[in-house]
Amino acid sequence: MSAMFKLVGKPAPRHDAWAKAKGDQLYSDDFTMPGMLYGKALRSKYPAAIIKSIDTSKAKALPGVHAVLTAKDVPMNVEISKFGQMKDVGGGFEGLYKVLADGKVRFKGEAIALVAAETEELAEEACRLIEVDYEVQPGVFDPEEALKPGAYIVSSDEGENESNLIMESHINKGDVEKAFAEADVIVENEYRVPPVDHAYLETEGGVAWVDDNGVITMRVGTQVLEHYRTIAKVMGLPQNKVRNMSVPMGGGFGGKEDITVETFLCLLANATKRPVKMVWSREESLEVHSKRHPEILRYKTAATKDGKITAQKVEIIMDGGGYKLLTGWVQMYSTVNAPGCYNIPNVKVDSYSALTNNTPSSANRGFGCCQANFASELQMDELAAKLGMSPLEIRLKNCLRNGDEICTGFIPQGHIALEEIAKKAWEGLEATGPKPDYVDGKKIGRGLAIGMMSYGRLTFMHDSSRVGLRIELDGSVTLRAGVPDLGGGQASVLCQIVAEELGIPMEKVHPYIMDTHLTPLCGTTTATRQLYMSGNAALVTVKVLKERIIKKAAEMLDAKPEEVQLINEKACLINNPLKSVPFVQVVGALSNDGVELFHEGQFNAPFTDVPNLHDMKGRIWPDFTYSAHAVEVAVDEETGKFEVRKVVLCYDVGKAINKNSCEGQLEGGCVYNQGYVTENMGWENGITKARSFAEYLIPTAVDAPEIETIMVESGGGLGPYGAKGVGEPADNSIAPAIVNAIYDAVGVRLKEMPVTPEKLLKAIQEKNK
Amino acid sequence: MHVNTRIMPVEFEYLEPKTKAEALEMLAKYDNVKVLAGGTDLIVKLKTGADIKVDYMMNVKEIEELNYIKLEDNLVKIGAVTPLSTIENNEIINKYLPILSEAIKAMAAIAVRNMGTIGGNLCNSSPAGDTIPPLTVYDAKLILAGKQGTKEVSVEEFITGPGKNILAQDEMLVEVVVPAPKENTGAAFIKKTRVKADISKINTAVLMERVEDKCVNCRIAMGSVAAKVVRILPAEEAVRGQKVDLNLCQKAAQIVSDEIKPIDDNRSTAEYRKEIARVIVEDAMKIAWQRSGGEKIND
Repeated sequence: MSAMFKLVGKPAPRHDAWAKAKGDQLYSDDFTMPGMLYGKALRSKYPAAIIKSIDTSKAKALPGVHAVLTAKDVPMNVEISKFGQMKDVGGGFEGLYKVLADGKVRFKGEAIALVAAETEELAEEACRLIEVDYEVQPGVFDPEEALKPGAYIVSSDEGENESNLIMESHINKGDVEKAFAEADVIVENEYRVPPVDHAYLETEGGVAWVDDNGVITMRVGTQVLEHYRTIAKVMGLPQNKVRNMSVPMGGGFGGKEDITVETFLCLLANATKRPVKMVWSREESLEVHSKRHPEILRYKTAATKDGKITAQKVEIIMDGGGYKLLTGWVQMYSTVNAPGCYNIPNVKVDSYSALTNNTPSSANRGFGCCQANFASELQMDELAAKLGMSPLEIRLKNCLRNGDEICTGFIPQGHIALEEIAKKAWEGLEATGPKPDYVDGKKIGRGLAIGMMSYGRLTFMHDSSRVGLRIELDGSVTLRAGVPDLGGGQASVLCQIVAEELGIPMEKVHPYIMDTHLTPLCGTTTATRQLYMSGNAALVTVKVLKERIIKKAAEMLDAKPEEVQLINEKACLINNPLKSVPFVQVVGALSNDGVELFHEGQFNAPFTDVPNLHDMKGRIWPDFTYSAHAVEVAVDEETGKFEVRKVVLCYDVGKAINKNSCEGQLEGGCVYNQGYVTENMGWENGITKARSFAEYLIPTAVDAPEIETIMVESGGGLGPYGAKGVGEPADNSIAPAIVNAIYDAVGVRLKEMPVTPEKLLKAIQEKNK
Repeated sequence: MHVNTRIMPVEFEYLEPKTKAEALEMLAKYDNVKVLAGGTDLIVKLKTGADIKVDYMMNVKEIEELNYIKLEDNLVKIGAVTPLSTIENNEIINKYLPILSEAIKAMAAIAVRNMGTIGGNLCNSSPAGDTIPPLTVYDAKLILAGKQGTKEVSVEEFITGPGKNILAQDEMLVEVVVPAPKENTGAAFIKKTRVKADISKINTAVLMERVEDKCVNCRIAMGSVAAKVVRILPAEEAVRGQKVDLNLCQKAAQIVSDEIKPIDDNRSTAEYRKEIARVIVEDAMKIAWQRSGGEKIND
């Protein structure tokens, strides 16, 4: 099959690679306009307070200040968050979203007022002159405390002001209590995972202006173009009068999924009728934009003597922070993934999420799944240790296989390669040589973790994507797609698919992307959905045009359409390639005939109803991508310092459409969540201590281990050519594999991240006492 | 107020002398001059709102006559504005002062080492500054110049506290002079960080001079355990004149651990620093001893 492909499955340089390598690519901040003002947000000094009054008179009086706005100046200050889905979901999933704080301040750094001024320094000065009278409140910073009766209530807004509970969700499968009563062994543990910053190259920012026709126009990098609809509501304008000509990003990772600067910029541009730029400082970004959900996960597992898991009971408490944002959706991922990627007959999951006065939690690569995966994969090794089984054995004994149902009773349609990839990753690591006891005085350990994560959005969202194509008269192709390109090659891969189908070189397809009103909307670059959704939309669209071209070519070649193929910029007979006509001539002939040389097609994901949250059943996502990480670490027993030496990762990617991009995602994801083990926001009572990258330390190139990437291509995915999505699953099982490897080295398993040398040394010393 | 690293909230005149004499003249002439010697610490401090009075910013990195590494009369001389990356890759340094090169290699990222200078790292006078322990154990002298003349001080005399040193307003550091270590001398540098490109949570440099199986001279410097980089004299004393073996290394390392009074901060804890001071000093002594030509010390 693969021998038939010219481009698909090959490493393909992206259309924007050179511009990025040479520094020619313009990002959010690299753009100015004549007469441009600078926007700045005044942010709350306290994580919990009541705003008694705001006096902006001194700021307004400062020469060079053109606008000072507070909540009362926002046409619709409170909105319900929407993320481009076609369906109004309701049911607690769509959270309250507020532009500027009024009533209660809900987290430190929440925006209270906006300023536009001639310079950034003046805007800053104006913020200093705004007088806010706060009544400081005690606040609540622990999600379990927040859920207790009598807790401080985070919100003063209607519908949220009686309890801090955001959502509860439950899974009940079989009879866990009976299984526990009959179990040979029971393992019980509590795990805790911390918040995580996305640490993209560039912070949130952009420019907005009012164009010649009165359209509010932005140039803001976002993962969700469809936010223009919410912004229009906030502004009290029709949706056809708010436009984002978005820009390429240096990473999103979920952090540019919620609205960032868009509403602020549009309000200021509209108020001043001047272009306005706002770019958040890194300090601002680290403190105020949403983080990965911290969670407490309590596991109780029952198994037989020979290692078959009979029941898994999980309680999850999620910290939603000051605003709900995407907590309800993230909760679906944590809840359904709680039992892990295993076939377990009896499952009970009870999850709760709470508002607190911490920085809000929302999307972060993995979206609730990697929290559950961390806990469940440590729990598997705890069980294996108790039973005297190897990490590989216990996983092979219990992992999902084709035809098995997950905890909601749904049987995944795509191929389940867990057994194969677990073996390949582990054997790949073993093939590097027998494990030494010590290297350079450091104890060596090896660990394994596997996982599953969905690609494509929650099916009850009713997701869709559209791509437009036009064949030019010189045989080149214009591709139009509202696909936010975060640097993952989201646009390039669409060109690759179109070029493959039309038998032309990739560089003959040029993408025009990311314009809310001039490119067909592709939906969000989130949920590992672009290749699956927009890749299929591109395929649907190009096939319509391909049929027209082949039909005409067949006429010209005096053959039947099924005898004709498009290859090497020609239409030729499959059985006699020498009998051919140039692609461009067929296009010319179609043009003469007045046949449409353009098409816009749509692809719809499977649709389901919103599940009953008290007893979740059935399909929640289209399909899953399966992962395995085998890791070797070296631990210094005297200092507690550990180093990841080698990683062998194995994924069933379905089909690697662009081998370079696919491998890049898998390795990037691996290092991304290598950082999950050690990164530390340093939250203390709502205050973020890690205010810069000198304090919030992510692994850099010198910390990256040797990574061997094994891509299994089963063809069993729902994307184009059987591809699966890898963007988020790429970071899924690395963190527990590292912690399990540390256990293998020194016999202690830290169940709370971050794992620091300080904590690890203490644990080693206690064990050796 | 929120820190905003997009803005440097201070205004100053920018000076760019091309010669040492011109620089010294400017220092004498103007008040509140801050010397910019790479800026990898100073600019960050100014952006994050540190209380620094600066009316004039004098960039000395363009003074070519202060950018050199040479060996003269058995002295290694390094010009104050020599970039860290130049020192790291220099043959004289690698031959005579290898742990200075090792310490610089372990600092920050390449871009920062290209900007930063040795004079800048010393005058920033951080307790965690990575060039300071090696220069301390190598017994480096710092040449401070003013319009009235020059003076020579040791690194320990120069730095007085976190970010503090004895430089007068009209003086600047112009040269670092290090005696080439004697034959049979070995040194080692070890630092512990959170990720590889990071400020030290603790660092140490150890130098040992060997005569047969005895250590006749030992210098031990510790960073990030006090208000400035410190030498641990009781530990040095315990080693001097002794036959070097595992027992001696452990004893000296324990003295270091007992002597230091580190603090808790966002990089580590006092308890952990005391604990691993012992480990890294023992390891550094073993390496230094072997490099001095002494027999390898096994556990």
